Amino acid sequence: MIDALFQQPEYLAAKRMMSATVMERSAIASNVANIETPDYHRLQVAPAFGAQLQEAIKSNDLGQLQNLTPALEEDGTDVAGRIDGNNVVLEKELVGLMKNSLDHSLETQLVTGNLLQLRLAITGRV
Amino acid sequence: MIDILPGIQSTSSALNAERIRGDVIAQNIANSTTTRDAAGHIYQRQEVLFESLVPQAGADGGAAGQNGAQVSVRIAADSRPPRLSPDPSNPGKMIETPDINIHREMTDLIISQRAYEANLAVAKSAKSMALQTLAIGKRG
Repeated sequence: MIDALFQQPEYLAAKRMMSATVMERSAIASNVANIETPDYHRLQVAPAFGAQLQEAIKSNDLGQLQNLTPALEEDGTDVAGRIDGNNVVLEKELVGLMKNSLDHSLETQLVTGNLLQLRLAITGRV
Repeated sequence: MIDILPGIQSTSSALNAERIRGDVIAQNIANSTTTRDAAGHIYQRQEVLFESLVPQAGADGGAAGQNGAQVSVRIAADSRPPRLSPDPSNPGKMIETPDINIHREMTDLIISQRAYEANLAVAKSAKSMALQTLAIGKRG
């Protein structure tokens, strides 16, 4: 019964987004760590995840919202001017890191807002 | 073990790799005129080789490659032949010195420092992210 309290689509969507954000962060950490490793290809969260999440939110499909899992994939695009087969660009990764931190702030606030609303509904106190 | 700092394995392996690289560069510069080591050989320039290392599946609960790659570092001897230069104490004779280019070593050192800084920035932001995660559900 208590599970039903945590089935609101907004809450589930925020949780899914957060898991993608955390995964993206591991990818960025890995990319910055391997900035000079020959033949390393940068990792990224598979773009299909965003589309699937949007689809699930639109259709209000709770089952799919719960089961969506992001995955990492290699970015195969080549960067001009590098001869070591590595395609990490530090600036791009650091900007991604900044965006990732903001995404994470947003998502923790969404989840917190949802939980506080729930507490308000249960206790009647702010 | 729960991984509260996302990507910290990659970052710490890179910090370690850059530190080793700095040590090797220092060793090269320090030995740039070493003509005889304990075994009587001329000093061979050392260099670091970076390889990416993807943890095996199951080791951290996730599928292989879903937590990013780490860096493993290997130290190898540079096989370049020694440089010949005139021996100041024996006119007319040549002496072998290690083929170490100080400018190249210094440039590598700067690159290594910058890479270290970039990884530190990632580690710092991982920390602030973890603190935010721990604050979920608290009134801000």
